[in-house]
Amino acid sequence: MKITRLIVLSVALATVSCAAHAQGKPAAKDAVLYFVWPQDGTVIKGGFWCRFGLRNMGVTHAGDDFQNSGHHHLLIDVNEPLDPNEPIPQDKSHLHFGAGQTEARIELPPGKHTLQLVLGDAKHYPFNPPLVSDKIAIRIK
Amino acid sequence: MGEIRKLKSSRGGDPPRESTPRRLAAIVAGDIAGYSRLMQIDEEGTHLRVKRIERDLIEPSIVGHHGRLVKTTGDGFIAIFDSPVEAVRCGIVIQQNMVGRNASMPKHHWIEYRIGVNLGDVIIEADDVFGDGVNIATRLEGIADPGQVYISGGIYEQIKHKLVCGYESLGDRKVKNITDPVRVYRVLPDPAAFNRTRKRRENILIALLSLFLLVIASGVLWYVFWQPHGTVGGQASAPVSPETPKVVSPPPPTVKQAAPQTQPAPSVAPAAKQPSPQPQFAAPAAPATPSTSAVREPVMYMLRGGSFAMGSNDDPTEKPPHQVTIKPFAISQYPVTVREWNECAAAKACSFVASGNAEAPVTNVSWSDAKQFVAWLAGATRKAYRLPSEAEWEYAARGGTQTKYWWGDQFLSGMANCKNCTDIAAAEQPIKVGSFRPNPFGLYDMGGSVDQWVEDCWHKNYQGAPSDGSPWVEGDCVSHVIRSGSWRNDARYARPANRDSYDTNVRYQTHGMRVALSP
Repeated sequence: MKITRLIVLSVALATVSCAAHAQGKPAAKDAVLYFVWPQDGTVIKGGFWCRFGLRNMGVTHAGDDFQNSGHHHLLIDVNEPLDPNEPIPQDKSHLHFGAGQTEARIELPPGKHTLQLVLGDAKHYPFNPPLVSDKIAIRIK
Repeated sequence: MGEIRKLKSSRGGDPPRESTPRRLAAIVAGDIAGYSRLMQIDEEGTHLRVKRIERDLIEPSIVGHHGRLVKTTGDGFIAIFDSPVEAVRCGIVIQQNMVGRNASMPKHHWIEYRIGVNLGDVIIEADDVFGDGVNIATRLEGIADPGQVYISGGIYEQIKHKLVCGYESLGDRKVKNITDPVRVYRVLPDPAAFNRTRKRRENILIALLSLFLLVIASGVLWYVFWQPHGTVGGQASAPVSPETPKVVSPPPPTVKQAAPQTQPAPSVAPAAKQPSPQPQFAAPAAPATPSTSAVREPVMYMLRGGSFAMGSNDDPTEKPPHQVTIKPFAISQYPVTVREWNECAAAKACSFVASGNAEAPVTNVSWSDAKQFVAWLAGATRKAYRLPSEAEWEYAARGGTQTKYWWGDQFLSGMANCKNCTDIAAAEQPIKVGSFRPNPFGLYDMGGSVDQWVEDCWHKNYQGAPSDGSPWVEGDCVSHVIRSGSWRNDARYARPANRDSYDTNVRYQTHGMRVALSP
């Protein structure tokens, strides 16, 4: 009697402790990543402030592992597809905003350029599936 | 209801005379905690920062969530939203963003908003909004803690099943000049935090329960094994051998002080007129380090100093090339390795603990981490260890050359650890230090391998840079300079003139460091 009760209880305890953690990093289902400015097709003279928009998720510091939050990455003239199993690269065409910035001063040489936002998690990995904005094209005069 | 809907179009500003444009709205009120204190510390700076926050964060967030900014006051703002969900989301976005913005500042300079959200029937005019719905929102904001969003019961009822957040009920609160008490909830944007508090409660329960079970179980055991012992006799004595205290002596800590660096002294470089490197091997022991254990010092190369042309015309950030004079200094032969770093971590002086191959360069360290390391090394050895300045780094990387790479203007494969530069497949970690040829100064991995933090704040080009080799630290220091490029960047990044920046307090997997020493 006591033993069966004990078993039942220990099973119950085990399931409770297992349910505590959920792994994997999906973005919020209704999250939207977008450019507040510039819009697709904008023609800009000189440098500009690029403003990042995120709906239904929060922006946080890189390294902070809060649920439903991430930080911005701006991809400039990047054509290669994003590898969801690698951290977002860091170079002159993959700009990171791990301090929680929601905008950046961008200076580009004259001509056509594409911009795209990617939300990264605490360790700079894209979410699964990746949360990206539309890729927009702008022209610098 | 229909009337209220119709009035929605009144935002353009029909004359408020004829029908008072009332409307149901979610009102968000925010203000800065301790604004007068901040103004006292730095009036102009605070004003500028607040204006910038309003322009860059508050306004776009409100617009982004389909709201309207009604007005801003010196230290606060009021906005209205059609949707309570959007209103609360906007509040959360603002708060989370402020966390990021404050992270790089000392605590007493933090700008922290308190935000209150209420649902109410209000009167809307072109540049203001009235009604006790607004007053309640400002009262909620008044009782909110800095950095928090407080919402009223009305808002809570609308959003509780729509917004994945934690909500903590703070009960009914009486607020100034409002007759009925208002039910107040605190929003926990991080549901994990909420779960944590709940989990803690669960854990206590579980602990109590298991304690209880343990007591029962031992009672049962005692009954089963001891009671019959008296009556049946002789048989059951074995199972209850009293717990002999197990003395497990921990294995002696492996002493790994071993031979100091046994790399062959590099065949002293070809360098014609340039300084002949004099390897300075690790000193036997630092005289009186507090923790008696001798710290293993990096192998340092003394450079004689001189004048060189810093920068290039290859990238806008590297312009203009300019003459810089460097004083004598020493720089480490290799990037700091995982093993070296973890001595600092073991001494609890570095908060980051590195992992991976012990002889590979340390990675995933922020500039602030790098500063912790040099501070620890300087303290433990009583020598003036520090980060190199950007000018010193480039001087050392060029090794007396003025070409695009230290070996010439053309890239040669197999000379540096960069992307598609070698046969080595890309991996999680750069390969161990010193795997490629040293430059004319005898230094390894100056270009490729790991990005290396230097002391300087980021400036987008060299306009106004110092010419005496000192670190350039004036300006908005939210990001610092990284040099060298990493094993994940292509050959262009391995040029000695290449420079890039990264947020000061953020770790990234390709960022490491090397140390310098003033003579």
